[in-house]
Amino acid sequence: MANAEWEELKQALKKPPTPEAMRGAAEAFKKYEVVQLAKGKRSKPTLVSLGKKQGYPNAVPVEKIPDELAKNPQFFKLMGRIVK
Amino acid sequence: MPVTLALADFDLPTRSASGFLLRWIVPRAGLEPATLYAILARRTPFQLAVPQSDIIIGAGHGGVDVFTGQNEIILLEVAKYDPKEVEGKVIKLLSCQTAVELGPDLIKNGAEAFLGYMDDYVWVMDADLAIRPWADKIAATSLMPVVDGLNALLDGKTAREALDIELEGYSRNAEVEEDELVKACLEFNRDNAILLGNGGAKIRARPSLALPFKLIPPPPLILPRR
Repeated sequence: MANAEWEELKQALKKPPTPEAMRGAAEAFKKYEVVQLAKGKRSKPTLVSLGKKQGYPNAVPVEKIPDELAKNPQFFKLMGRIVK
Repeated sequence: MPVTLALADFDLPTRSASGFLLRWIVPRAGLEPATLYAILARRTPFQLAVPQSDIIIGAGHGGVDVFTGQNEIILLEVAKYDPKEVEGKVIKLLSCQTAVELGPDLIKNGAEAFLGYMDDYVWVMDADLAIRPWADKIAATSLMPVVDGLNALLDGKTAREALDIELEGYSRNAEVEEDELVKACLEFNRDNAILLGNGGAKIRARPSLALPFKLIPPPPLILPRR
């Protein structure tokens, strides 16, 4: 079941990729990540994709997702498509 | 006729994706291997192997009009291959967005069926398990449905049945997944998986994975990544 932090991230990713919205999504992801870390099941999770030159890295450690969300509009849009 | 597998292995996503196919699909090629792994996943060996195959399986980076092998060397690109390479074949590309333009082009040039993805193929993997990617339980939630679909094809099931098995795998895993990010990736891949061409297409069935290969995984991958 989705938690409140995940719902907050969903809403943040629905916005157009303005610097403010990207910072908001990064903050929302940090809150979600804190909840996941508290569950204590992960080792070194990394979000990966098989895209060729898509304007974002093919491998982003989950802990670095907020940084990428805050600075990369293409990655922000990808996350918006994934997190619906 | 051999199965042609083109498996790039030079970064984390290609290591993870190709690792699962190496563990569960390559041993089924048995005595008819045309496995283009890592540095062999290049255009010339691919060009030589594919005309003799009835199925082409690829794992590598891609875009709307292109599928690549090792170090993003182009293996298939819209309008830049000989139709004889793909005529009458079932093609499965584990790659991003190739169903947008490349898939339709392959079908137009005579491929029997194409299985691919309309958007990025994304998953969460454990980077600590890069030398034994098949042991990665997080990645398995996304990649084992692909393996199950491919095994269905190699068992002689139709392309449509194989896709359905893959889609059911994503749904089943998403239903029990507690991590919302992993679950979102599963649903994203499920929604973007697509079959083009003849859904009734079949290939000659291969013997199932021999017992020793089911029980004993391959040795760790010590090939350096880029």
